[in-house]
Amino acid sequence: MSKTVDLNQEGVQVKKSACYFCHQNCGVLAYVKDNKVLAIEGDPEFPTNQGGLCSRGNSALQHLDHPDRINYPLKRVGQRGEGKWQRIPWQQAIDEIAARLSDIKGQFGAEAVATAGGTQRTDDWARRRFMNLFGSPNGFHNAHLCWIPTFMVETAIYGWCPFDLDLGNSRCLVLWGQNPGASGMPEMHHIVELQQKGLKVIVIDPRYTETASKADLWLPLRPGSDLALALAWLHVIIYSGLFDQEYVDTYCEGFEALADHVADFSPEWAAPLTWLTPDQIRDSAVMYATNKPGNIQWGTSVDQIGRPAGATMHARALLRALTGNLDVPGGDLLTGPSREFITDEEMEANDSLPEEQKAKQIGSDRFKMVTWPGYGRIAELSKAFWGKAPTAEWMCEAHPPSVFRAILSEKPYPVKALLVSATNPISSYGETNLVMEALRKVDFMITSDYWMTPTAALSDYVIPAAGALERPTITSSYGCADFLLASQRAIQPMYERRNDYNFWRDLGVALGQQEHWPWETVEDAYFHKIEGLGSGTENYDQFVENVRFHFPEREYSKFKERGFATPSGKVELYSTVLEGLGYPPLPEYVGPTENEIDHPELAEKYPLVLTTGGGFMPFHHSEHFQIKSLRYLRHEPYMDINPATAASLSIKDGDWVWIETARGRIRQKANLTNGIDPRVVFTQRGWWYPERDMRDPVLGGCTESNANVLTTTADKDCDPFSGAWANRGLLCRVYKADQSDDKEVR
Amino acid sequence: MTRYAMVMDTRRCIGCQSCTVACKIHNELPLDIIYNPVTTIGPTGTFPDLTLSFLPLICMHCDNPPCVDTCPTTASVQREDGIVYVVDSKCVGCLSCIMACPYGARQHNHETGTVSKCDFCKDRLEQGKLPHCVATCHQKARIFGDLHDPDSEVSKLVKNNRTVQLLGELNTDPSVFYIY
Repeated sequence: MSKTVDLNQEGVQVKKSACYFCHQNCGVLAYVKDNKVLAIEGDPEFPTNQGGLCSRGNSALQHLDHPDRINYPLKRVGQRGEGKWQRIPWQQAIDEIAARLSDIKGQFGAEAVATAGGTQRTDDWARRRFMNLFGSPNGFHNAHLCWIPTFMVETAIYGWCPFDLDLGNSRCLVLWGQNPGASGMPEMHHIVELQQKGLKVIVIDPRYTETASKADLWLPLRPGSDLALALAWLHVIIYSGLFDQEYVDTYCEGFEALADHVADFSPEWAAPLTWLTPDQIRDSAVMYATNKPGNIQWGTSVDQIGRPAGATMHARALLRALTGNLDVPGGDLLTGPSREFITDEEMEANDSLPEEQKAKQIGSDRFKMVTWPGYGRIAELSKAFWGKAPTAEWMCEAHPPSVFRAILSEKPYPVKALLVSATNPISSYGETNLVMEALRKVDFMITSDYWMTPTAALSDYVIPAAGALERPTITSSYGCADFLLASQRAIQPMYERRNDYNFWRDLGVALGQQEHWPWETVEDAYFHKIEGLGSGTENYDQFVENVRFHFPEREYSKFKERGFATPSGKVELYSTVLEGLGYPPLPEYVGPTENEIDHPELAEKYPLVLTTGGGFMPFHHSEHFQIKSLRYLRHEPYMDINPATAASLSIKDGDWVWIETARGRIRQKANLTNGIDPRVVFTQRGWWYPERDMRDPVLGGCTESNANVLTTTADKDCDPFSGAWANRGLLCRVYKADQSDDKEVR
Repeated sequence: MTRYAMVMDTRRCIGCQSCTVACKIHNELPLDIIYNPVTTIGPTGTFPDLTLSFLPLICMHCDNPPCVDTCPTTASVQREDGIVYVVDSKCVGCLSCIMACPYGARQHNHETGTVSKCDFCKDRLEQGKLPHCVATCHQKARIFGDLHDPDSEVSKLVKNNRTVQLLGELNTDPSVFYIY
């Protein structure tokens, strides 16, 4: 038995759409008739996925008209979280929300309105535009845990973030805390292809992942100890003479100071900190430094280790410069922002936000790299060199845990409204108990989403968001790439769903911003952005159908003529930008956020090291648990534990166990695996149970198995550079759950 | 004469189960029926000296299919191009083919009362498309084509690599070949 849709029937159009279930945005062909999608498949002509689709991508039609989708604006009629809703027309929702925001602004100032976002599943330049015009600096995402701090630290050192890897010409790839085998299928495909042509792959990961199993070298380091490894690599490369002398002499400043600084960070020093052997550290450094050109690919891990995160990004960034792998053929390229199309930053209206409002951005007094002080400095350097700045949305945001604390304490000032778009903070932000307390307290909360998430359930209004096949997509690495891939919507949104763009635009118009929103549809706005590419097309859909991709010719070694976008025009191994912001100009050693050396008493109570947050198929963050054709693969949450450790705790494979940190405890099922160090456990992220009661206090069992109950966002545990909080390198204990615990969790 | 075959390049498979899901969704299979399970082998060894591999499974479309031989109603059919499938209207759900299949490739469909199995997406082949599990595989770990065409990718892979057919000793002569 199999079912086949006749794709050759009369009236079927093929739309060049994109998947929207992670930000790889794989190309999707949608077969459409009468505004209905009959079938989807991976687009063989799309350069990244080349016809492939992961399990999530294949579920697009299950997602599109799932019975649990939010299809109309909902207004709360009972108590917050009581689950009583009234369906109201779109315009009524917009008008009522606008009136309330206006009141709050009048009484408490525009800064009393904050917005929360998730991963890049929205057009958040539009959200930024709305917030700038409204006058609030307090937008934020989970940006702190995902690339943004890395972007800013690297840009401080060499004038742009070298995220564009020239992998086709590379001889060695370092995957530092990244597992594309479970989170980036198109990347994994290219890596395996290139390995067959001789590419060496080093995987740095505490877990023996899908990707680690294909690597030439696997470094199973202690979670959160990446800084010791990076410093020891610097030591080996300098003191074994493996650095690129000419590159360093000609294009870098501060080599002597760096050499002195890392003199004591030998592999022997790093071995007990990283749980690796000196030989593993030395051999891997040699492999990277001698197989040139080579790449270090970004992964989220270092962004998520909390206190040592910024220094780790700094140390890791220096490796590329020392080895001369920066902006050379086969290396990590510094493309700068696009000079050919209008970037996201240019759509954000950042100049509309008055300086006194920028100064009020919550968290900017402590965490300067991704708030106005650091962003302002980097934007200034970037504009002088490239003519344009990085995207401010993502790169310049309020500090989320501090906003949640401001809601509770009204310090430094009251925050009264939270507009949540495409995120479920209860599952996705650090320290769930803090987040829940803040969400229950905030005066006014709006959530725009596909589903009635635990966060949506606590809201005053729920706004129906258009999904993958109902929206156009421009893929351009958070608006920072010089390339773009354009995709079209397969159908107009079903029911009364709208794009997030339309939500922010309509809200802006209702608040008197009419003249600043000349583009009625997303396509109009997108076409405004890309019109300058001179493709001879008259509208966005034509561009997708006839052009679709823009990949400018690569310009290598631009530094030879132009230098770098730093104050000295060189790679600043000794960073004057970081120093100017009050951070160490050279990466100083900081231990993992919680560790057995600095915190022996804590380690006695919580003897295991916890890592959380790694991606696993078929879910993405806290999504897709509703979709049966995915959920059947994994009904329940699993944590990884070594069989020897499990035996010592009388835990058998499949047992429910509690994982507990100083913040709280959750339960998941034990997956006994040799692929993890006996001293480490790994918990899956994102879990909640949409099949359960969605009313407060159950809220879909959103605290029962939620890894963020365990994470920490206390200032002392955050990265001082960015405020990134800690998901990894924490201390925990694990014990078997018994049946009497069911009462507590249900 | 065409003989459809599939090569599983296990060196490329990462166990993502996209094939499992694509098949189930697009063929609208009940939740408990899986044509394309992917088995995880490992991690084996002692931390940190480990190996991990994945074994994608599917109906082997045997050249000597015991399921066809055993079917009392001629519902199980082997086409000339090697595709083995079930004619739903002739199947009485006696399950003898399930007993006969050494690969566990057939399942009792509780919605229809008949036996369900992979048919290499024969209707898609007619539209010039690849089976769902092949088309969706990012890793290109599943390769499909005509084994009797010397220029096809599958015949070249089978010729140029050491391949195995599962349970070869049973002389079923599967059309699915594994590179490991």
